[in-house]
Amino acid sequence: MVKTFKEKVITHKEFEIIPITELVRKCISQSGITEGLVFVITAHTSSGIMVNENLPCLMTDIEETLERLVPLDHDYAHSHFLLSYGATGGNAPGHLKSMLCGNHTVMVIENGKLECGKAQDVYFAEFDGPQTRNIFIQIQGE
Amino acid sequence: MIIDMHAHPWLMNEAFKTSQAIEISKKEMGWGLMSGHDMQMTRIELKDAKVDKMVLLPLDLTTTRKVQIPDNETIYKLVQDNQDIFIGFASVDPYRKDRMIELEKAFDQYHLSGLKLNPSKQHFYPSDPMMNEIYEYCIKKNKPIVFHSGMSWESDAPMKYAKPLEFEEVAIRYPELRFSLAHFGWPWIHETAALLLKYPNVYADTAMLYMDSPRKFMKDIFENQLGPLWLENNLKDKVMFGSNSPRFKPRRIKYGLDQLNLREATRSKIMGENALRFLGMEE
Repeated sequence: MVKTFKEKVITHKEFEIIPITELVRKCISQSGITEGLVFVITAHTSSGIMVNENLPCLMTDIEETLERLVPLDHDYAHSHFLLSYGATGGNAPGHLKSMLCGNHTVMVIENGKLECGKAQDVYFAEFDGPQTRNIFIQIQGE
Repeated sequence: MIIDMHAHPWLMNEAFKTSQAIEISKKEMGWGLMSGHDMQMTRIELKDAKVDKMVLLPLDLTTTRKVQIPDNETIYKLVQDNQDIFIGFASVDPYRKDRMIELEKAFDQYHLSGLKLNPSKQHFYPSDPMMNEIYEYCIKKNKPIVFHSGMSWESDAPMKYAKPLEFEEVAIRYPELRFSLAHFGWPWIHETAALLLKYPNVYADTAMLYMDSPRKFMKDIFENQLGPLWLENNLKDKVMFGSNSPRFKPRRIKYGLDQLNLREATRSKIMGENALRFLGMEE
């Protein structure tokens, strides 16, 4: 059986890491699936899905490391006028951070529950906010 | 107070009655793949950018394209519902037979704060005598005009109508008329600088179409193509922060301007004080 949920996330800053573990748990509960896998996938190319420990110090390290690897000001090829948008590509760092973070995660469902390690939380990672974002939560199993 | 002098409601869902109307707006103004957004997101964006108010500029294309994006009544309603963040301008198609009735209604009934005209998209030369009646009414009502100037990205919008020097005759004919050359007249920025220097009531905004990054572009325009002290020493009372939102995010244009080597007092003028004077809202 496969159940798919499309959820909205509103972000408030250019860079923001938002915990969505409870949202994933809610979708698992609503799906009725007790054994299987849950896929959490962002619908965008300048955001990501990550799994990490919910500690403010780690969130700071993640932000600072990504900023060091992909600085705001750099000679990005994407920073040109895009005919398809009628605007200049100003979000090359967002796309590159998305590439480093990845667009999805997969986790195990057992006995109708999300199987997380003690330190694990699921996050939506915004790299080009603020925006209204969509994520897909798909549950496969029985 | 930080005022974004150049924003359009062209992707605001609340500005359009139907999703089809927003698609027409996108097509007319060349928005391509950009998506509509609601008021909540506009407020979040302004807060994130630390911008206090945004001047909404509509466009009346009744005779050339049979659309208003949006009409003046809609701007009035948007401002009424969001008075803490919006300042609304009117637009009239200069070729409309009822243009003066529409303008009178916009200023007297809707209390809109100024007039937006786009010579390229509306197909007129600023010095055309048919415009005199409109200019004289704006002077009578103490309302400023924001003219699109410089390059036009949109279709059916010849740039020849909006080169900065085309506005000089208006400044000569009506020295008391306050008007702004939007987009700094880019790429004809030296013509714009000359007009700002010469005519006391001519202003310009910074809503330029950047080609690389906001920081590189603003540095190149204001510290390289124009001399490094031109803005600080000569034009500081005439230039106003404008983003051209939603084509460009206010946060990004503001960041580009923040990278300029300016005195704090000059930065305050550009980010809001000049706009207050231009709008006639200076205390």
